[in-house]
Amino acid sequence: MTLPALSPLSATGSRERLLAALNHREPDRVPFDLGSTQVTGIHVVAYQNLRAALGLPPVTPTLCDTIQQLALPDDDLIERLGVDVRGLFPLNSHNWNIVDVDQGEAWEYHDEWGITHRRPKDVLYYSVVKSPLAADPLTPEAVAAHPWPWTGDPRRIAGLRELALAYRAQGRAVMVKGVLAGIFEMSQRVRGMQALLMDLAADERLACAFLDKMLELKLAFWEMALPQLADVVDVISEADDYGTQTSQLVSPRMFRKLFKPRLAALFARLKQLAPNAKRFFHSDGNIRPILPDLIEIDVEVLNPIHITATGMEPAALKRDFGRDLAFWGGGVETQSVLPFGTPQDVRDNVKRNIEALAPGGGYVFNTIHNIQADVPPENVLAMWEALREGGAAH
Amino acid sequence: MNEYIRAVYEGVLNGEGEATTTAVAAALQAGQGPAHILTDGMIAAMAEVGRLFEQGDYFVPEMLIAARAMQAGLELLRPHLVQADIKSSGKIVLGTVKGDLHDIGKNLVGMMLEGAAFDIVDLGVDVPPQKFVDAVRAHQPQIVALSALLTTTMPNMKATLDALTAAGLRDQVRVIVGGAPVTEVFAQKIGADGYAPDASRAVTLAKSLVAAA
Repeated sequence: MTLPALSPLSATGSRERLLAALNHREPDRVPFDLGSTQVTGIHVVAYQNLRAALGLPPVTPTLCDTIQQLALPDDDLIERLGVDVRGLFPLNSHNWNIVDVDQGEAWEYHDEWGITHRRPKDVLYYSVVKSPLAADPLTPEAVAAHPWPWTGDPRRIAGLRELALAYRAQGRAVMVKGVLAGIFEMSQRVRGMQALLMDLAADERLACAFLDKMLELKLAFWEMALPQLADVVDVISEADDYGTQTSQLVSPRMFRKLFKPRLAALFARLKQLAPNAKRFFHSDGNIRPILPDLIEIDVEVLNPIHITATGMEPAALKRDFGRDLAFWGGGVETQSVLPFGTPQDVRDNVKRNIEALAPGGGYVFNTIHNIQADVPPENVLAMWEALREGGAAH
Repeated sequence: MNEYIRAVYEGVLNGEGEATTTAVAAALQAGQGPAHILTDGMIAAMAEVGRLFEQGDYFVPEMLIAARAMQAGLELLRPHLVQADIKSSGKIVLGTVKGDLHDIGKNLVGMMLEGAAFDIVDLGVDVPPQKFVDAVRAHQPQIVALSALLTTTMPNMKATLDALTAAGLRDQVRVIVGGAPVTEVFAQKIGADGYAPDASRAVTLAKSLVAAA
């Protein structure tokens, strides 16, 4: 394939561009995120392919997330593509003390939560295969007695303040993520998804023991980290997955009763600890019915805008929620178009999504899900070119 | 519906395992026929669960506890069904394709199919094509149901279909597919016999395929 003529874009103004967009003003062009979080990133295989397609020299990529095999984009690629935001990745079970054990056909490792992850050697991803609190009967007291990780350990953010300052000096905006998955998702991992879902419906006291513990562990991390980082970060990311492609994993009624009050406590504390940072929240799938709830509890930025899920059509979302939420993602459909479409399909899709989401600001471009290993680099470049063309108008 | 059957029905519908087993025991004690308890108590309740799910009243947690309650009741009822020689709706071999370790969607489909009186042979996750071929030979199912959560493992659905064809078994079974990235169009493209977007609709699909066979 022929190399596209890409001109390096100056980082000058990246941070201002991102902040303007998040403050619902149209910047000079649509800001671009690639790799600032574990939900807006790129698989190491796709990353290597993209580097080669751009003519960038081979590197041994740093993984910012071993479970998902996500590459931390290098400076030269950030510069080349004009990525506007860099991410801080505190140390956690996805990137710290990962000791793979060779189990013959698969790699396995046991993380700080007591979870066993497994990746068959011919497979791209790790999956949770054993949860520490899966056995029944289980009591809330046993949940409390589990040896939970010390999320408040200051080693988790060692060096991140300096890194944030360096990114700022380059002109970029800075994102910081937490050290555990969402209250719901992390509970699923330690209990087992099926078991936790059943607990929610049949044993609320037990389910709430998990949800309360996850909130406590999140607060312990942010109360340690934000006094060190609040003045050098622009966006704080939190995540949890409540949507499915057609509906929600739990009813909006259950969400409001069990999850919303805990998320409200989390966001209120983030607001106290880092009043100047934007609060970003990720949930896949159709979460339209709970968007008013998220707005009510001070979520400011929504990711990933799962545009093909029921109820998540971008123009309608922009119309109904665009005053209250900035959208971060939704730039290209990642289940069919980006991996399997032609470069022209990708361009058309990007153009349509930008036209729906970018007018008036309140939009940061990213894919809907991490760019996976099977995505052809020419499609990533087509995405980028379409962003550069369409994004300049907004 | 008499009071014994109604108690079974409500136990399952409300996802109460203990209430369901108590109700099944009471129904058997009172001389209710095992087929009656199964069909009008449990299967009818699971059909209602499916209906409530489709209309957005029930979500996955409510569906899971209903299926769990049904399984608890079925455990108690099964010896009586065997004795009465009750036939199942059909046999289904189910699994998540090679390279994919995700199982909750597949499990939910399996439970709902079980709730519609199908016999389920669950091959688990990361199932290579040859294992599906062997299972079709061993179990002679009417349907093979394939699950995939990842775009990167969807091609292994096609590989599984190819393996069934190569083994000369493709005409013996109907193959249905599902999972997050799977669509009707994809199902047609790889030559599958059906696609369903969720566990409830998978039951409708399986029933229609078995009825048409």
